[in-house]
Amino acid sequence: MIQPADFLTLVLILLSAIVAGRLLAPYIVKIFTHAPSRLDRFLDPVEKAIYRLLGVAPSHGMGWREYFLSALIVNIFQMILAFIIFVFQGGLPLNPQGFPGFSLDLAFMQVISFGTNTNLQHYNGEGVCNQLPNCYPLNNTPGLSYLSQMTAVQFLQFTSATTGICVAAAMIRGFVANSRDMGNFYTDFVRSLTRLFLPLCLIAALIFVGLGVPQTLNGYRIVSTLEGSTQTILVGPVASLVSIMQLGTNGGGYYGANSAYPFQNPNPASDIFQIFLMLLIPTALCFVYGQMLGKKKEARPILWGAYSLFAIDLLIAFIPNYTLSRGMEARFGGFFSTFWTVVTTAVTTGSVNSSLFGNHPLVILSAFMGMLIQSSPGGKGVGVMYMVMYVVITVFIVGLMSGRTPEYLGMKINARDVKLVMLTFLVHPVIILVPTVLAYATGAASAIGVSTGSTGFTQIFYEFTSAAANNGSDFLGATGNTPFFNISTALVMLSGRFIPIGLLLALAGSMMNRRRTSEIGLRTDSATFTIVLVGSILLLVVLTFFPFLALGPILEFFQKRVNGF
Amino acid sequence: MQTMRHLSRSGLRTSLFSRRTLRDSLIRLNPALLLSNPVMFIVELTFFVVAAMAVYPPAFWPVASLALRVYYVEIALILLLTVWFATLSNALAESQAKNTANSLRSLESEVQSKKILVEGDVRRVVATPSTALRKGDLILLEKNDVVPIDAEVLEGISMVDESLLTGESTPVRKAPGDEVIGGSKIISDNLTARVTVNPEETYISQMIKMVESSKRPRTPNEVAVTMVLVGLTAIFTIIVSALLGLSITLNLAIDLSVLIALYVCLLPTTIGALLPAIGLSGISRLYRRKIVAKSGRAVERAGDTDVIILDKTGTITVGNRQATEFIPFEGHTSKEVGEAAFLSSWHDDTPEGRSLIRLAYEDGFVPRELNALAVSEVYEFSASTRTSGVKISQGSGFMLPKGDKSGRERGRLRRKFEPRQEAGSAPSEDETEIIKGAPDAVKKIVRTVPSNYDELVNQISSRGDTPLAVTKNREAIGLIRLRDVLKPDIREKIESVKVMGIRPVMLTGDQPLTAKSIANEVGIDEYKPEAKPEDKYEIVMREQAENRVVAMIGDGTNDAPALAAADVGLAMNSGTQAAKEAANMVDLESNPAKIIEVVMLGKQLLMTRGAVTTFSIANDVAKYFAIVPVMFASTLPQLKALNILGLGLNTAVLSALIFNAVIIPLLIPLAMRGIRFKPTSTMSLFIKNALIYGGGGIIVPFIGIKLIDTALLSLGA
Repeated sequence: MIQPADFLTLVLILLSAIVAGRLLAPYIVKIFTHAPSRLDRFLDPVEKAIYRLLGVAPSHGMGWREYFLSALIVNIFQMILAFIIFVFQGGLPLNPQGFPGFSLDLAFMQVISFGTNTNLQHYNGEGVCNQLPNCYPLNNTPGLSYLSQMTAVQFLQFTSATTGICVAAAMIRGFVANSRDMGNFYTDFVRSLTRLFLPLCLIAALIFVGLGVPQTLNGYRIVSTLEGSTQTILVGPVASLVSIMQLGTNGGGYYGANSAYPFQNPNPASDIFQIFLMLLIPTALCFVYGQMLGKKKEARPILWGAYSLFAIDLLIAFIPNYTLSRGMEARFGGFFSTFWTVVTTAVTTGSVNSSLFGNHPLVILSAFMGMLIQSSPGGKGVGVMYMVMYVVITVFIVGLMSGRTPEYLGMKINARDVKLVMLTFLVHPVIILVPTVLAYATGAASAIGVSTGSTGFTQIFYEFTSAAANNGSDFLGATGNTPFFNISTALVMLSGRFIPIGLLLALAGSMMNRRRTSEIGLRTDSATFTIVLVGSILLLVVLTFFPFLALGPILEFFQKRVNGF
Repeated sequence: MQTMRHLSRSGLRTSLFSRRTLRDSLIRLNPALLLSNPVMFIVELTFFVVAAMAVYPPAFWPVASLALRVYYVEIALILLLTVWFATLSNALAESQAKNTANSLRSLESEVQSKKILVEGDVRRVVATPSTALRKGDLILLEKNDVVPIDAEVLEGISMVDESLLTGESTPVRKAPGDEVIGGSKIISDNLTARVTVNPEETYISQMIKMVESSKRPRTPNEVAVTMVLVGLTAIFTIIVSALLGLSITLNLAIDLSVLIALYVCLLPTTIGALLPAIGLSGISRLYRRKIVAKSGRAVERAGDTDVIILDKTGTITVGNRQATEFIPFEGHTSKEVGEAAFLSSWHDDTPEGRSLIRLAYEDGFVPRELNALAVSEVYEFSASTRTSGVKISQGSGFMLPKGDKSGRERGRLRRKFEPRQEAGSAPSEDETEIIKGAPDAVKKIVRTVPSNYDELVNQISSRGDTPLAVTKNREAIGLIRLRDVLKPDIREKIESVKVMGIRPVMLTGDQPLTAKSIANEVGIDEYKPEAKPEDKYEIVMREQAENRVVAMIGDGTNDAPALAAADVGLAMNSGTQAAKEAANMVDLESNPAKIIEVVMLGKQLLMTRGAVTTFSIANDVAKYFAIVPVMFASTLPQLKALNILGLGLNTAVLSALIFNAVIIPLLIPLAMRGIRFKPTSTMSLFIKNALIYGGGGIIVPFIGIKLIDTALLSLGA
């Protein structure tokens, strides 16, 4: 059970995230509604120059198809650029360690991983041991050059997070009364970069530097230790990457050990700050939803639904005593490790500050829930999108019992909406379960030494759940660097990202300009509705995977209990 | 409060379980016929798979074993039973719908008509049921006949009472070329008319035929619910396929029959089975109230009603005003007024007139001149003068025998003695002339207007009553208070409508003060006095511009545009053909107050569908906990800890499957009569039903499965 002091810390962090999210929301709204801002004086010329450079007509409004295709094409183009950098990094500058290029399948998987905001990593960024004296990571994978870290990784982390928030804004516009179109992807994209992510990351990076996170391009340092031997200090542009990886709910760390590595997460203050950054924008977007709709109360089911599910995750995770176990970072202890794991999966960041192997099965169960639900409060942008979808389907199924054909925001929910939602629901079971079975059937799992027992099953099931939810935390790490896992996870990440986005944009597109009644039947902003919403999400989303969770973390829980855990 | 209680049980008369229903339900087991019901189709497929397993298990190695053949037979039987319960519910609902439809049809064909056969120069009249008439047939319409079908007058002039159709109590004169409407009544003379429409083309016949056919088109909401069911089916198909794959690759040794049982239990079989029955029963319930709906869609739309337009007359009030008081002017007595009213109303057959006689009689104001009434001139009510009256002439010697069968003669006499106020000729000494009518019209013909005339008139109007002024020999002697009689329970009905968030709007031809008073009395905030039929259309348009769903009733041709535009238009059967065609429902009993019931039935239909869907999906929680622990029991014994119900290892799957099957027939009565509800706000209905059918849907199967399991264990299964 959770200690009182820890509970207080937890509550304070969550409260500060909610308060900060509330304060940030009006600013984000301004970005997407093009409301005048004090920043216009500096940023308008910059943005106009970018539009001119790209040949974009900023006032052109897009329908859902055009918006989605623009986002898809831009993202694919960016991924191709990153792909080239990953493959050819050996011959490119800013590579003081002289890392060779990635294999094609690893590069393919990694660009999709970063491009889809997943950040599943089948490599250790700091490099391989046979190239360096006395280095910690033991896995034989190539590292990433400074250029790759800064351009390919960080660049995609920015663009994928930005894409997420843009499509969310587009979806919201579909639900806003009397909107003419879903906005312009290019202007949304540029404005959220220049006005939101770049400034916030600059501030966050400076704070991280202040907290002791390195930011340098001077190469790894080899120093003499007190014992007289030498040690390689793995430094690089870490602070800037950490800020976007957490703010953008990306999760791909500079180092293979992610935020368990002392340079990426030097002290409790940096740990708390990272948790805060993960929660900040997903929380803010809940408020943004209500404000853009012009119905602030409609943010309630989104926000409180998300945080109720989050609370359930926490409740499950904190059932066992969080004693320090193998794989946990001693500097933070069991509480911060558990808390981090729950947060990182609830907002689908996927960064870790402890090895998942060290976490209690119930914490892993909680992590699964976060990833399957994807909106507690979920990743950048898509968290809100999923929650709105959950609201729509809950209104439809349960709302019928109020004696009216179901309406959301005064709009009747029709068969096509239901079809789109059901298709979105279908994505997860397909892209998680099919490759999980294939991993065993093809022998790919046993090839990397994964057992057929509950622990092994958890690893494989987790890998694809994390990929499907665009989370990025994983058990496999660099051991997953095999053609099967690289290609399968890449396809899963791609489908898990863009199919739901496409379907939900289509849903919003069909909502646009639908007849609305001002009569309020079912109040979606009521506490009752939020309770029903949470219930239906647990029933429709989590319970669906119950047999598989039973084979994984639940079985592990009972086995360990039997074994005196 | 009006509840849906009185509907109970009537839906499941034993006669429904006829041999035909049974046969029907078995025929529907044909997989080709089940294709329209995806969930049940899949359940039947699983039946064939398990049956094949029972026949030849080795074909299913390694997921089936010879040792379990008996078990496979049991599972196959339960699966078949599940499908049969679904087809049975469907057959029951359809037989119920047919029964009610037939009773409606008999109601419609009760009218007898007189068909004219022309053979050369000879015309022969043959009694024919109205349903046998064809377009172009000639019919004879005699006094007191009810016009059997819409027709065009060819010969004769006659007075026709269309009051049931149009609400206008004055008989209408019909001459060659005019249309007579089915349902109106001939009150004088004979007509020859040509039928203008085939009986099966009449609106009601068409509607009954449509609902009877089993290829009833699905309503938009049914389509959407089906979409949810198909989606869930797809999800569970993947889940169970993946489990099968894992079972083989990870050597979990899960038997295919157990996986199929899990699959079928997780599928939304309850709602999948009952969905068609719920929709059909909704229409049957409407039928039982003698209302015919054009489509199921209209019934659903009724549940969404935001605004309901009510005609005051017939909906809120019983339709006819009743005299309640005689108010004399100064210098006159109540007795004088009462006696004058008695005399002037003697020839007035309208309910209003009769109520005047009754009141005068009850008060003992029977005039001495009663005998003289036999010799009198009658001034018919005319719309131009808005008065009617009588002139009793002692010496004219003209007799108008009361109760004479010769309506023709009487009608001719009436036309002869049109009121002649415009002539202004005062009656002579030996004559008494009594005129009564609308106060402002009467004011113009009296010699002197009493000083408190307007004051008294307003006093009556402001109470919601209608004043009628009485003159005797051109002297205003008093007023009669005509009171609108409210329909019983109307206040409660209006209240229940308002509580559900529906806004009632009252339309009346009355003047504003009267309208206001009536509206206040029944609790209506919005009303339109001095309304013309076009006003209905305007209100419908105005509300729909705000995207509100409008329900209304109508009967006259004037109402047709509004009925067509309204989301829910309920036409009176007594109304014109145009109105019936424009509306999407027709009340065969022509009771406009039923519009409120229609709204409630619509809500009940949606609620029932939502409740069974929610219940069905919520059931999955218990089913997971029943099946998953024992599914892995042989290879992963630790998971037995999830067996929180403590079910038997060999019986758990059967128990869940049996529960899954028997819940269908258990819910058939609920599906067919609809869930009960008290009119409250949408939100409280939601909370209450979410608690009952959502919460209950989680808890009930835990109890049910445990009970079945205990029973199975005690049977030594």
